[in-house]
Amino acid sequence: MSSHTYLALALAFYTVGALHVFLHALTRRQLLTSWTAVTTLGGFILHTASLSQRWTEAGHFPAVGLHDTASFLAWAIVLAFLVTFVRTHVEALGLAIYPVVFGLVLLAYVSPEGGAPDAIVRSLFLPVHVTLAFFGYASLFLAFAMSLLYLIQERELKARSPRAFYYLVPSLERCDTISAASASIGFVFLTLAIITGMLWSHAARGHYWAWDAKGTSALVAWIIYVALIVTRYRTGWGGRRAAYAGIVGFAAVVVTFVSITLGTGAR
Amino acid sequence: LVVAGVSHRTAPVEIREALAFVKEALPETLRRLRADGPMDEVMILSTCNRVEVYAHATDPAGADRLANFLAVSHGRASQELDTYMYRLRGDEAVRHAFRVAASLDSMVIGEPQILGQVKEAYQIADEAGTLGSLLQALRNRSLASAKRARTETGIGHNAVSVSYVAVELARKIFGDLRDRNVLLVGAGKMSELAARHLVRNGGRATVLGGRTFAKAEQLAASLGGRAMPFESLREELGRADIAISGTGAPGIVIHREDVAAARAARRRPLFLIDIAVPRDVDPSVRDLEGVFLYDVDDLRSVAEANLRERRKQAAAAEALVEREAREFLDWQRSLDVVPLLVELRRRGEEVRAAEIAKVRARLGALTPEQEEALQAATTAIVNKLLHPPTVQLKEVSRNGHASEHLGLIRKLLGL
Repeated sequence: MSSHTYLALALAFYTVGALHVFLHALTRRQLLTSWTAVTTLGGFILHTASLSQRWTEAGHFPAVGLHDTASFLAWAIVLAFLVTFVRTHVEALGLAIYPVVFGLVLLAYVSPEGGAPDAIVRSLFLPVHVTLAFFGYASLFLAFAMSLLYLIQERELKARSPRAFYYLVPSLERCDTISAASASIGFVFLTLAIITGMLWSHAARGHYWAWDAKGTSALVAWIIYVALIVTRYRTGWGGRRAAYAGIVGFAAVVVTFVSITLGTGAR
Repeated sequence: LVVAGVSHRTAPVEIREALAFVKEALPETLRRLRADGPMDEVMILSTCNRVEVYAHATDPAGADRLANFLAVSHGRASQELDTYMYRLRGDEAVRHAFRVAASLDSMVIGEPQILGQVKEAYQIADEAGTLGSLLQALRNRSLASAKRARTETGIGHNAVSVSYVAVELARKIFGDLRDRNVLLVGAGKMSELAARHLVRNGGRATVLGGRTFAKAEQLAASLGGRAMPFESLREELGRADIAISGTGAPGIVIHREDVAAARAARRRPLFLIDIAVPRDVDPSVRDLEGVFLYDVDDLRSVAEANLRERRKQAAAAEALVEREAREFLDWQRSLDVVPLLVELRRRGEEVRAAEIAKVRARLGALTPEQEEALQAATTAIVNKLLHPPTVQLKEVSRNGHASEHLGLIRKLLGL
């Protein structure tokens, strides 16, 4: 089977998972049943097969152009979600994960495979840098999702009127902790990605840093996360401010991702 | 199975009180009921919301006799109670037993006490020796289905009483309550109850005393915490995660400045519960970051929202319990034909053995091959003849018509 067929199958599995989560959220049942777990895992396996097939087809690490990056990023998010779910059992994360994964895989499915100059695709920096960066994006996306859940629930609690989220989301303390943990892990990946990016830039173009969109936004995100993590660990509680930082920081990450994808494809 | 009784649905509290049984007298009452009934098996469930008698009786008048017993044993005439009393038989009675155990017939749907009460009622009957195979089976199946309903649907989720709502909200904010500081300002009944729940979940209590400091010390001791003078309010508020205020003071006791000062020292959230009427806490503290203030009305409205949420879940629980009750009924019906099937098979075997004996007497000694052939042929004849009635009987019993036709079937088969 071609990488495209595998991707279509993965998309089908994720669609079932996404529909399942939303139906259950509406009826306020347990969000992730064994069914959802099976479809997600099945989708993930097919998705992995698609990526490895694409690697063979392209003859280089599949991280060039919109098709590859969207697919790879979705894969990293599913992986991060599975790891987080096994560790924390926070079902409400599914509400944020499934639509995004579905959207990214759909985007990958409809966009054509891209190519890039040999100098880029043959570089050893491509797999290392991109993998680190995408694992970072995935973790930071989880931090973003938990921050969002934190803020929505805090609003409901402040307003003294429990609505849907009151019944679906874990305690504020847990949202805060998981968000901070994901942000820390994402931060480590982001830091390593920036360093490898600089090395790559130096190797390819002779300078470490260029003040372009992706570099600047990555740096802005990095500073926001430093501030978030430092205050979180000094006070033991991030609260609303950390939640806002998790959201703004992720916005900078999105800018970075978009400028890479729409730009040359690599540094 | 027959059931007779009164519940919060059918009778006011005066009637329920009048018909309630004292726990200590139950074993004696159960034995008397069985002897007078006459009934094979009896069980009495007596709680503040219902008084019910369950019994195994084969005749349709059984439920009336139970109703009569319930009235007479409390010195009432049974006609007088007719309007309050329900009498259930057969399938209806079984369904009722399942729904009661699963807390679907409770005043507050999904309340957890009923399961324990039903368990205890069976336990008492068991010890009094008035349980038999039917009620034992009903006990196992209905309690198991009640547990399933509780774990697989949300009927038991979310607090519906004010003091538990306070605990639930605290959990929603802090997650684990272990080692959270709980500050009690003023000692009222409701604030004490909420504090007790919080301490049981691992919270550490501090009681602020006013003029009657001895009272605060007493309460602190019973909560395993410490008492402090009221003057240390700001300082204690700065340490607190959860503060419950329930003084009888006519005006504001916890001012905005107090809370703002406490917040300056801490970034963790502060959960303020104002149980007093008139209110103790300045409502404007709600604007402060990380402060969650709930007064009695707020707690009540959360409780109501939770109850609505439970009712949504009740439909799923009803379906589950109905399924389990039907399974139980099917199983019970299949029991009706089991003795008949056993008897049929025994008769067949008897006839076969007798005929073989006759043949042997006539033919004399047989070779092993002949003996084997004879056994095989006769067994096959019996099996083939009995196969269709066996299948049909099982089928009929599943459809629930066996008991009506059992007599006729026995006659036809010559049993």
